[in-house]
Amino acid sequence: MVTALIADDEAPMRDLLRARLQQAWPDLQIVAEAANGVEAVELGEKLRPDIAFLDIRMPGLSGIEAARRLYERSHIVFATAYDQYALDAFEQGALDYLLKPVSAERLATTCARLQARLRKRSSADAAPPQDIGQQLAKLTTLLETKGKPEKPTYLRWIQAQVGASLRMVSTREILFFQSDEKYTRVQTGAAEFLIRKTLKELLDELEPDEFWRIHRSTLVRVDAIAEVKRDLRGRQMLKVRGYPGELEVSRNHSYLFQQM
Amino acid sequence: MRASDINRVLDFVRDAFHEASKLWWRFFDWLAVVEWRQLFLTWFFVVIFFQLVNTPEPGFWYIFISFAVKVLAGGKRKAELMAREATAQANVATLERRLMEAQMAALQAQVEPHFLFNTLALIGQLIETDPKEAARVHAHLIDYLRSTLPQMRQRGGATLGKQVELSRAYLAIMQARMKERLHVRFDVPDFLGSAPFPPMMLQTLIENAIKHGLEPKIEGGTVAVRAHVVGADLHVEVCDDGVGIDPHADDGVGLANIRERLQLLYGAEASLAISTPPGGGACATIRLPYKMMEDA
Repeated sequence: MVTALIADDEAPMRDLLRARLQQAWPDLQIVAEAANGVEAVELGEKLRPDIAFLDIRMPGLSGIEAARRLYERSHIVFATAYDQYALDAFEQGALDYLLKPVSAERLATTCARLQARLRKRSSADAAPPQDIGQQLAKLTTLLETKGKPEKPTYLRWIQAQVGASLRMVSTREILFFQSDEKYTRVQTGAAEFLIRKTLKELLDELEPDEFWRIHRSTLVRVDAIAEVKRDLRGRQMLKVRGYPGELEVSRNHSYLFQQM
Repeated sequence: MRASDINRVLDFVRDAFHEASKLWWRFFDWLAVVEWRQLFLTWFFVVIFFQLVNTPEPGFWYIFISFAVKVLAGGKRKAELMAREATAQANVATLERRLMEAQMAALQAQVEPHFLFNTLALIGQLIETDPKEAARVHAHLIDYLRSTLPQMRQRGGATLGKQVELSRAYLAIMQARMKERLHVRFDVPDFLGSAPFPPMMLQTLIENAIKHGLEPKIEGGTVAVRAHVVGADLHVEVCDDGVGIDPHADDGVGLANIRERLQLLYGAEASLAISTPPGGGACATIRLPYKMMEDA
């Protein structure tokens, strides 16, 4: 008898798939249901079902990651609601997938195809196609980067201790950083925080286009700069939106604000 | 003299010059817009005052300079000032338009198609397996849509009470999907229900808590919504005990949108603060001026 595993984090979706499968393929024996990716891998490895229906977005381990652990033993069918990148990849790679919510007609076609494949596999006793592993690996990176080319990840939140909890300050709120002896001062429009990270460390971790170093002790967010002017001593002074004071630009960094 | 002394003197001279020019221009602006009748009155008092202290000359100088300035440059300056005021008003108009646009953007984004789609799918499947539950979810969806959609037309939705109601309906639907993985706690006193609160902010925070905090966590967790008055401010807090915040994750358009709208609506009197409590998870707190009810 053909066995199957269903993995989906939403119980109603599992119920629906089970009900539809019972109609479309009464002989199919559903041996286990998993509520997350980790459980799916555990049950899949233990019970070795012929078919694994895997939801793509699951906590713990995504359906694709789970598939990479299970595809040698079980035939994989993905279920997804809307992930366009994944759908394109499935079409190209000839992986089986179901669109949620699962319609009876669509499931009938899928079941017929699955039956044909399983027959072929048992008659030829062939292993699953070799390239599925590669396809899954490609899918994993594709979904992680959402189809965009890989970009280095920059620091987006600054963590500052306030009382017992950690304040998460979004870099978009920050006007500038200023080193202040042992600490670094983080200035936002409404407040200031002290953190232990040094300017040097911040410089390495922040996006270089988002923050500029204008002085040995100052990093300013480019979008917050309102104007640059010269004072009577010829120093360049920066005005920042939402902050009354001025920031000095040191000579080494004045090239940042040369006239076009 | 050392260089630092020279700098200090220069700083002082610059500051003094700056102050004097500021005062002069303020006087100049006043002259430009003041009515002649009021100017005569000041001349009268100034003359009397300087007669009393027995040195009449400064008084006459004042009359002479102010008369000359007003006649020679007053008209032009007045026109300039009026032009500036008109610009300022235009800026306010621009600001209001941007506020409208921000609100529209927020409103347009409010019923996420995926959410609607998934909920309808859920109802469709519950009709077959659990019709009672289907009816419940269906009723919540109607509540949710009713309190979401009319905001385009009427102003009544912008109270904390309405926003909480909307969030309850949303959370009830999410609970039907996530089952025991999602727990919900509301701690919002009834008397705060009439307090003005901008639409779709609570909603965004709750969606974030579920999407980024609880959905990725295998065992799920709790979303807690709390509102209280601190001094003159209303604090509304959405906390979850999920996976917390990755410092390298983008903070997303949702939070940036809330921040921008708070800034447009209340300026520096409102804020959005995100923190991670020692026990894990994440908390988002909106602080804004507390009012008992909306202005008529």
